[in-house]
Amino acid sequence: MFATSSQLKCWLFSGETELAKHRSEANKAFIQTWRQDKTDEEVAKFFLTPSEERILSRQFEVVLRKFCSEFQPPMPKCVIGTALAYFKRFYVFNSTMDYNPKDIMLTCAYLACKVEEFYVPIGQFVKNLRGDREKFADAILSFELTLMEKLHYQLTIHNPFRALEGYIIDLKTRYKEIQNPEKLRKCADEFLDKSLLSDACLIFSPSQIALAAVKFGAAKEGISLDGYIRNKVLKTATEKEAENTLYQLRRVKAIVKSFEQTTREQAQGVQKKLDRCRNQENNPDSEIFKQKALDKLNEEDNVPAVKRAKLSNV
Amino acid sequence: MDEQGCPRCKTTKYRNPSLKLLVNVCGHSLCESCVDLLFVKGSGVCPECNTSLRRTNFRLQLFEDPFVEKEIDIRKKVLRDYNMKEEDFASLEEYNDYLETIETIVYNLTNHINIDETKKMMEQYKKDNKDQIKKNQSKMSKDEVMLETLIEQEQHEAVMRKALIKEDEQREKAAKRKHKDALIDDLMFSELSAQAIISSHRESARLEEEELKAKTAATAFSTGIKIGHQNNIVPLNRVDSGVMYRYCPLVMEWCGPDPPSMDDIYGDGYLQNIRPASDAERAGGFREAIACHRALQEAFCGLYSYPTISSSLAMKQQTSMASTSH
Repeated sequence: MFATSSQLKCWLFSGETELAKHRSEANKAFIQTWRQDKTDEEVAKFFLTPSEERILSRQFEVVLRKFCSEFQPPMPKCVIGTALAYFKRFYVFNSTMDYNPKDIMLTCAYLACKVEEFYVPIGQFVKNLRGDREKFADAILSFELTLMEKLHYQLTIHNPFRALEGYIIDLKTRYKEIQNPEKLRKCADEFLDKSLLSDACLIFSPSQIALAAVKFGAAKEGISLDGYIRNKVLKTATEKEAENTLYQLRRVKAIVKSFEQTTREQAQGVQKKLDRCRNQENNPDSEIFKQKALDKLNEEDNVPAVKRAKLSNV
Repeated sequence: MDEQGCPRCKTTKYRNPSLKLLVNVCGHSLCESCVDLLFVKGSGVCPECNTSLRRTNFRLQLFEDPFVEKEIDIRKKVLRDYNMKEEDFASLEEYNDYLETIETIVYNLTNHINIDETKKMMEQYKKDNKDQIKKNQSKMSKDEVMLETLIEQEQHEAVMRKALIKEDEQREKAAKRKHKDALIDDLMFSELSAQAIISSHRESARLEEEELKAKTAATAFSTGIKIGHQNNIVPLNRVDSGVMYRYCPLVMEWCGPDPPSMDDIYGDGYLQNIRPASDAERAGGFREAIACHRALQEAFCGLYSYPTISSSLAMKQQTSMASTSH
C-alpha cells in the first residue's frame, strides 16, 4: 500500500525547489571534497554547475527510457517506471560527477528488472548494448550494491500504471456520462510516458499522476472530468483535502508539460567537461578503480587470516 | 547403560546372547566358560580379588550389579546367626537396635570396613547366644507362619473350585436330560402343534441358561478389582493458556478516499468492465475481482498526499546520518 510505503515517507518532496536544493547541496559537497586549492574561478571552469548536472541527468533519463523501450525481450511498463524512479532518486543526493550517469543508468535498469520480477540474466541483459559487453557487465554488477545502498534499500516503487487502469475501470462503472472511456486511454498513456521524464514521481503520489493523466486524456477528447473528480472521487474528502488534491493535479500537469528536451550539443559539451572532473574512484576504466576493486578482493581473502591471527594471540 | 559382560574374557551379552554370568561370595562375576576353565580342580582364586573360592559356590547372577549379589550372600550368612525374632525382645526399640547392628555388620563386610573387628564381634555373639540361635533355627517367624497359612488357604480354594465345577457340570447334564424328557412327553401328549411346542421349549431353555450365566458371571478380577465401568475417571486439569488471542480487523490507511470494497465490486457492476478470468486462472484461485480490487485501491490510495518540506526533512536527516557514518 502506498499510504504506508517508504515512497511516501522518504521519497516524496514538496516540489522542484526542494529537489533543486538537495541537488545543489550534493554538487557543493562533491566540489568541496575535490577542489584541493583551486580558486572559485577555476572551480567554475573545472567542475560542473548544478544546472549543467541537471542537463546531464535529464539527457540520460531520455537515454534510459529509450534503452528500456528498445530492450529485448520487451520490458513491461512498470520496469521502465521503476528504473527511471531509481535513477532520479539516486541523483537527488548524489552528484553526476561522483557517479557517472552512464553506469548508474544501466545498473538502475538491471536492478529494476530484478525487483519488478522481470529477471534477465546479466549475459542476456548486456546483449542489448553495443561495445565491450563484458566491461558493461562488470560495471553494472560493481555498481549494483552501491546503488541499493544509496537508495537505502527502499526498492519498492509504486508506479502510476495500475492506478490508471483502476481509474478507467471506475469511470466505466460509476461515470456513465462518457460513452467510451477507452478512447482517452491513448492520451493518458502518452501523458504517463512523458511524466517519466519529469520529476513527477518524486513529488506526487502515483494515484495523483494517474488521475492527472486521465483528466488530461479526457480534455484532449474534449470531455471535462471535473464532475467525476469532484462528485465521485473526492465525494468523501474534506474541503481542504479536495482543494489540495485539485491543486496537486494542476501541478502534475504543469510539471509534466514543462518538460523540455535538452539538445544534443548541450549534453555533449557537459559530457566533455565531466570526463575531466569526474571522480576517478568510481570510473570503471580508471586505474584507481581497478586497484580499489583488487584491494577489496584481497581484503576479503585476508579476513580469515586476520581472524586466525587474533585467535592465536588469545 | 554398559553392556553386561564377563570381566575376564570380555564377552558381552550382545556378542553372545547365551552368555551366563556366575557369581561367588566375593561378588565378582565370571562367565560360565571362564569358571569351567579356572576352576577345573574344584577350587581356585578369584581373578579380581584373589579370594579363594569353591566352584560349587558359584551361582547364577540374578542382579545386573554383582555387588548386590555379594551383599545378598553376606546377609544370608549373617542372618543364619542373627536369627532373633521380634517376640524375643522386650520392646520394639530394642528389636530395632538389633536390626541396626545386623545392617551395620552386613555393610561393613560388603564394603571391607573393619572386617577383623566385625568378624570378632560376630564370633562373640555366636558364643554368647549359642542356645538362643539353636532354638530359633527350629522356630518359624510370624511372617513365615502367615505365608504358610496363605498357601494352605489357596490350595483349599482350588480344591473347592474344582468340586464346584464338577457339580455344575453334573447339574447341567441332569437339566438337559430333564428338558429332553419333558419335550418328548409334550410331543407325545400335548394337543398343540409340534412347531409351537419346540419353540416354547427352546425359549424356556434359553431363559434358564441366561439366568445361570447371570448368577455365575464373575464380578471381580482375580486381583480383586471390580469388573465393569466405575466412575473413577479423573477429570483433566484445565491448563491456563494465558491471555486469549483477540482478533482485531485490519484498518487500512489510505491517505485518500476509501476505495470500493470487494462487496461494492460485485454489487456495483465493476466486473462487467474487466476481462473475466480464464478457467486456468480460476483453477489457481484467481478471480477477476482481485485484480479489479487492486487496481482500484492503487487508484485511490495516496490521492490526498501533499508533501511539505517538513515531511521530507526526516529523509534529509537520514541521508546526512548515512553519509557521516561512511
